[in-house]
Amino acid sequence: MNTFRFSALLRRLRTMLALLSFAALPAFGADTLNLGLPGEPATLDPHRYNLRIEETVLEDLFLGLTTFSAEGKLMPGAAESWETSEDGLTWTFHLRADNRWSDGTPLTAADFVWSFQRLLNPRTAASLAYFMYPLRNAEAISRGEAPVTALGAEARDDATLVLTLEKPYPHLPERLLYPTAFPVPRHVIEKVGDSWVKPQNWVSNGAYVLHDWKPQQNVQLVRNRHFQPPPIAGAVIYHSLASAQNAYNRYRAGDLDAIAGFPAGELETVKASRGAELRLSPQLSMMYLVFNTRRPPFDDRRVREALAIVVRPDILTDRVMRTGDLPAGSFVPSMVENYEHPALPHASLSLAERQQRAKQLLAAAGYGPDKPLHVTLRYADGGDGKRVNLATAAFWQQLGIKVDLHQAELKVHYADLRQGDFDVAQAGWLGESNPEHYLGLLHGRTGETNYGGYANAAVDALIDQAREQKAIAPRHALLHDAEMLAMQDYPVLPLYSLTVRRLVRAELRGWIDNTRDAHPARFLQRP
Amino acid sequence: MSVHWLPRRVLTLMGTFVGIITLIFVLLRLIPGGPFDGERALPPEVEANLRSAYHLDEPLPAQYLRYLGRLVHGDLGPSFRQKDFSVNELVGAGLPVSLGVGGAALCLALLLGITAGTGAAMKPGSLLDTTLMALSGLGLAVPAIVLAPLAVLVFAVLLHWLPAGGIGSPRHYVLPAFAAALPYAAAVARLWRGAVLETLTEPHLLTARAKGVGRVRLYLRHVFPLAAVPLVSWLGPMAAGLLTGTVVVEQVFDLPGIGRYFVQAAINRDYTLVMGVAIVYAALILSFNFLTDLVYGWLDPRLKVHA
Amino acid sequence: MSHRPAPRALSPLAIVLSALLLLLVTYVVAGPWLVDFGPEDVDWDALESPPDARHWFGTDLVGRDLFTRIAHGGRLSLTIALTATLISVLIGVPYGAIAGYLGGRLDQVMMRFVDTLYSLPFVLVVILLVMVVGRNTYVLFAALGAVYWLDIARIVRGQALRVRHAAFVEAARAMGATTPWIVWRHVVPNVSGPALVYATLTVPGIILAESFLSFLGLGVQEPQASWGVLVADGAGNLESAPWTLLIPGTFLSVTVWSLNLLGDRLRDALDVRAR
Repeated sequence: MNTFRFSALLRRLRTMLALLSFAALPAFGADTLNLGLPGEPATLDPHRYNLRIEETVLEDLFLGLTTFSAEGKLMPGAAESWETSEDGLTWTFHLRADNRWSDGTPLTAADFVWSFQRLLNPRTAASLAYFMYPLRNAEAISRGEAPVTALGAEARDDATLVLTLEKPYPHLPERLLYPTAFPVPRHVIEKVGDSWVKPQNWVSNGAYVLHDWKPQQNVQLVRNRHFQPPPIAGAVIYHSLASAQNAYNRYRAGDLDAIAGFPAGELETVKASRGAELRLSPQLSMMYLVFNTRRPPFDDRRVREALAIVVRPDILTDRVMRTGDLPAGSFVPSMVENYEHPALPHASLSLAERQQRAKQLLAAAGYGPDKPLHVTLRYADGGDGKRVNLATAAFWQQLGIKVDLHQAELKVHYADLRQGDFDVAQAGWLGESNPEHYLGLLHGRTGETNYGGYANAAVDALIDQAREQKAIAPRHALLHDAEMLAMQDYPVLPLYSLTVRRLVRAELRGWIDNTRDAHPARFLQRP
Repeated sequence: MSVHWLPRRVLTLMGTFVGIITLIFVLLRLIPGGPFDGERALPPEVEANLRSAYHLDEPLPAQYLRYLGRLVHGDLGPSFRQKDFSVNELVGAGLPVSLGVGGAALCLALLLGITAGTGAAMKPGSLLDTTLMALSGLGLAVPAIVLAPLAVLVFAVLLHWLPAGGIGSPRHYVLPAFAAALPYAAAVARLWRGAVLETLTEPHLLTARAKGVGRVRLYLRHVFPLAAVPLVSWLGPMAAGLLTGTVVVEQVFDLPGIGRYFVQAAINRDYTLVMGVAIVYAALILSFNFLTDLVYGWLDPRLKVHA
Repeated sequence: MSHRPAPRALSPLAIVLSALLLLLVTYVVAGPWLVDFGPEDVDWDALESPPDARHWFGTDLVGRDLFTRIAHGGRLSLTIALTATLISVLIGVPYGAIAGYLGGRLDQVMMRFVDTLYSLPFVLVVILLVMVVGRNTYVLFAALGAVYWLDIARIVRGQALRVRHAAFVEAARAMGATTPWIVWRHVVPNVSGPALVYATLTVPGIILAESFLSFLGLGVQEPQASWGVLVADGAGNLESAPWTLLIPGTFLSVTVWSLNLLGDRLRDALDVRAR
């Protein structure tokens, strides 16, 4: 009897709670996609954006000259075709005839020219302006040393855009995938200024347009009537989620169709209970440890080699993290295409052999039981950094090395790295399918992002030589040699490539895993 | 009640307010790392462009004066991170949520606390008293960061009764308000129990009792008004505590309030947003305390005699 | 009023609570010696393993033994709480005693200052302060102590007001004792009981405050871990490893609970009131 009364009470409580709820967002139909974003976009101005989550939303709002297919492959976007001159310096893009802004205004080559100029104009203060530095005079304009009209971008006619480059850059179509190369509506911006990003002023050329943006809650997109072919789902709501735990909770509560990132510790549970919904997609990225080659004893190659070879990235990923991340073979992520990945010099040794060799190396460098090596390992808050670094420290402690861990906020961490204030530090890099993007970090003239201050004239020469090549094959062959050479100096210890842990409802159609982690909403469909 | 102290009090309030603004401004700029540090390091010329766009290239005193100048006009400035919004817009969107959770929690804390406290005070030392006080002891001891994840797991994920986070309907407020209210409800229960017991020993109540005033009437007319005095004096700090307590609750329940902004903005070095949120909190807390003082003076007859 | 309030006999509950606290302190101090694992040792064969004969409280995500980590965490949490309380007593007692004993305008000004500090959004200031100095345990002590001395100052001032006109103080004054002497010999001993009570109640408050800071990611530096840090870590793995939240959470809650209750009993026994 008692149980009966209790359940009646529960029922009543439940009805009360149900009465409290409102009908959710009547403007959006049943085909609305509810997608989780791991965080809040900082802006929807493609020239001011900075984060991956913003790329996700911007790719639905705008269409660049090139764009992602459902499979995450490069395909023609606003341009239907393009050709390159013999010297690789002039690129001619032919725009589609039906390009229109969402207010019906025709979109022409001149809009692209104006947009690229706006991106590089110092007054726009675009943090990723350097993405377009391959264009002639782009860097000088960004420095304020040349007028924006000097930019190597020109509209031959309404449908023909000609881009001229500083140096041959065969990866240009890939570079144009980024929102920095998206067109922005000149006719609106010249009228309303910075408030063009407000929903009431919004005009764009992608499959969707901005309907509303509720800070810390969601970004609401609805179909762009002028986009061809029309997207399947009538509306998309991107929900900003505060944490992985939150994303996971709300997905399971049924609020969301797909989320990126759930708590790492839940992977095994998810595999068992929701195997069909789990999507692990490796991302073009490299998480690594960088040695400060300017600071003794890490200027000693033997010390770096000893520290590097005893860490087994496969143990880190498979046993410690168990998050589905991919252990690194070398510094350029294994997902980079058309590139022969060199093996690290110590790849064939067993852990015992590595420890043996490391002890010899340390002894040769003057460290042993009576004079242990001291290392401070720095890492940033968030992500799986803590676990990885604790485990890395454990590898080193087995050699008798004294390890101090130093955790800092992300901003502080990278500020310290740029100033070279560290012994050994965790770093990460998200890039393109272009080895130069990663190896550039090891170039002696790269500046602050070469955190460890590594410089090897032979490596620099090979990279410089590669940058002059017009075709991808010889370019990548030279970069391969550069990586091979650099890895013998152990300036960095490549650990793993990130894997995006997604949950996607089984009934959501059109979702295809890919290394770019690109899933344009226009290809997705709710049943 | 005399009001001659009012102008001076208001002046002190304004002084305190400016002091708080200055303190937060200085603290913020002492934090290492800036708004434009991040994984993707910027070329120096790009960073210079950004710094000048946000006037960060000016000397600090000039930035401080610029900020105060804007503030006088009610403008909290542009957000460094949320580039498409002004701080006014962001605070405007988040404040109702924070006030909603804080207000609901305040009511809940008073309701639960006074009920439990009265129940316990009826028969001090009884089983009911011991049980209620032990429960309130737990309420004070189990922190929200332990309780909240458990509550979400049970009520949202397993039972599907309540939303797992976000905002949109009153149902979204249930779990956060409870989580925020619990420790305060426990504290109110204790305070109220003590106040009621103490009031019951006052001579004029003994007289009223002797005159045969009914029990309900005795409590409502004689005990509660007097017992409310210490509670009211505690209401200001409590409201302030609840409001800032929502910083954690908003984080746990993924609520779009200004408390979550504060932590995020501080991590992002979004100077103007941090300042904006701190200023709003400070203004609210100062007004709570001010109101409490007013009500307290009005409520406590003994205080009037002294004044 | 008597010179020194005579404490009434402590109740059985208070004795039980004291025993419980003693047990906790014993575990925290001696616990790490009972197991072979250090707080930073990684057991590669038992990553994220539930409590068993080898790891009595299980291990965390990187395979560190929680029995020893919780004991170490307790040391840290209690050290932080006791130090911060000490700081708040060292500031609050003299401040309150002087304000209360001297009274008048000085009292008004000093108490107005306390009121002003009360109106600061302290959570926010502490968050910024911790960020300024990085994850430094000493700053946590100082920051938390700086918040809690206000309560103690108020209580002590109230008590000092009471003894100000007590016969023994008047007598001392008549005999020509200096003000510092009277404050030190007569006022402070008389307010020490209430101060002790409030200090007992401050300790759990600080333990809780520290856990909130940890939850916001502003706690002590890894590999050190306070109870707050352990709880915050555990909250993220509630489902896959519930023991990582529940065990340190229980220790934290029981400690706070018994200190609160003990403080209450002491307050009743010593008959101290807030106002």
